[in-house]
Amino acid sequence: MNAEALNTLVTGAIWRAEQLEEKDVPAVAHAWLEVSVLEERLAQVLPHSKGEGRIARRGAVRAALKANDYDRARLLAEMYGAEKGASRALKAALREMLEENARQAASRYPNAARHYNVREVRDVARHFHEGGAFGLAA
Amino acid sequence: METVAFYSYKGGVGRSLLLANAAQFLATLGKRVVALDFDFEAPGLHYKFSGVDRQDIAGGAVPYLLATATGAEAPPALKAHSLSLAVASGEGGRLQLIPAGPAPSEQYWAALKQLGERLRLNDPSGNGFMAVLDLQARIRDEMRPDYLLIDARTGVTELGGLTTTILADTVVCLFAPNQESLDGTLKIVEALKAAPRLDRQKPVRVVPVLSRATGGAPDDEAFTSGVQRLLELSDRSKDKSKRDQTGLLMLPHDETFGNGERLVGIQLEATVFSPLFKAYLGLFRKLFP
Repeated sequence: MNAEALNTLVTGAIWRAEQLEEKDVPAVAHAWLEVSVLEERLAQVLPHSKGEGRIARRGAVRAALKANDYDRARLLAEMYGAEKGASRALKAALREMLEENARQAASRYPNAARHYNVREVRDVARHFHEGGAFGLAA
Repeated sequence: METVAFYSYKGGVGRSLLLANAAQFLATLGKRVVALDFDFEAPGLHYKFSGVDRQDIAGGAVPYLLATATGAEAPPALKAHSLSLAVASGEGGRLQLIPAGPAPSEQYWAALKQLGERLRLNDPSGNGFMAVLDLQARIRDEMRPDYLLIDARTGVTELGGLTTTILADTVVCLFAPNQESLDGTLKIVEALKAAPRLDRQKPVRVVPVLSRATGGAPDDEAFTSGVQRLLELSDRSKDKSKRDQTGLLMLPHDETFGNGERLVGIQLEATVFSPLFKAYLGLFRKLFP
């Protein structure tokens, strides 16, 4: 699929996710995940040296965070940050998105954040996400 | 605050009743206790305490978590989700109950359904974990109990896993005198021992308890070696000479209290000679030294 077709799909997917978000529909996370996947595809066909390529990379990470898929967001950010020739500005922007998300989680759950580090909680949550309840499926 | 989770791989082993008795026992010793019902799919801890007017229950853990998950501007007051219960005796003792919610009622099941849609406990973003850790932190900081006793969901569930692996300092694992119950419990205890903990958390302490025991534990080889393995796993001391020699803690089947589901702690006159009452005391001495 070419960039133009993907751009059309991304625009439609973002519109849909925003509508669901506005109407407070629980399935909104799936809609944002769809946006993230499409943005990732777009990033595959557009190099980071192009402005649109950088926008797609940031969009893929941002949409993953909106989908509450922190793990995916982190992996994408790491992947884009490790691309040969990736600019410092892009790396900083990706890092800032993850940090801002962690700050939001801490402000949403201030009592837990006083006792525990959000990143650490996420690491443990990921362990149980992959291994199932009690980690029995790990 | 010490957090003690009461867990059983299979149901019907007197888990909630043991928790209610432990809560009442600690309160009569002058301790401040919060009992929290995290058995959302089969809530009933509020039935185990005397003096609870079930018609008065409007809040609880499920409505509380739902309010936080829907992004309420101000976090709900814990007071609206807890009940103060009478303590039989004991100076300074305090007992508060956070039920799962006004169960059984349509309102409760609707709230539970919405919570399931809003809050995914296995969410890799950690939001589910943070929501539950936040509730525990608020209980610690605002209610300031000496003990938080949590009724964990039976079997293998996300909330049961989170309660026992992350929230608890101690997990009381009840099991029935049969191989099915023991084998499942062993798997769970192995998982508890292998599970990651958050920074500053000590390794979880596991206390296995054989429940509904009539005439002691079965003496066949498979059961005996399973129990041995369970005791080895639950003993925290690496030094064999320092290991607990108490052996397996057992709660006998007691028709009077097992069927009646009553508190023994406040029925002292009637229960002082009950084998179950005596076994409870032995267990509480080990649990709350």
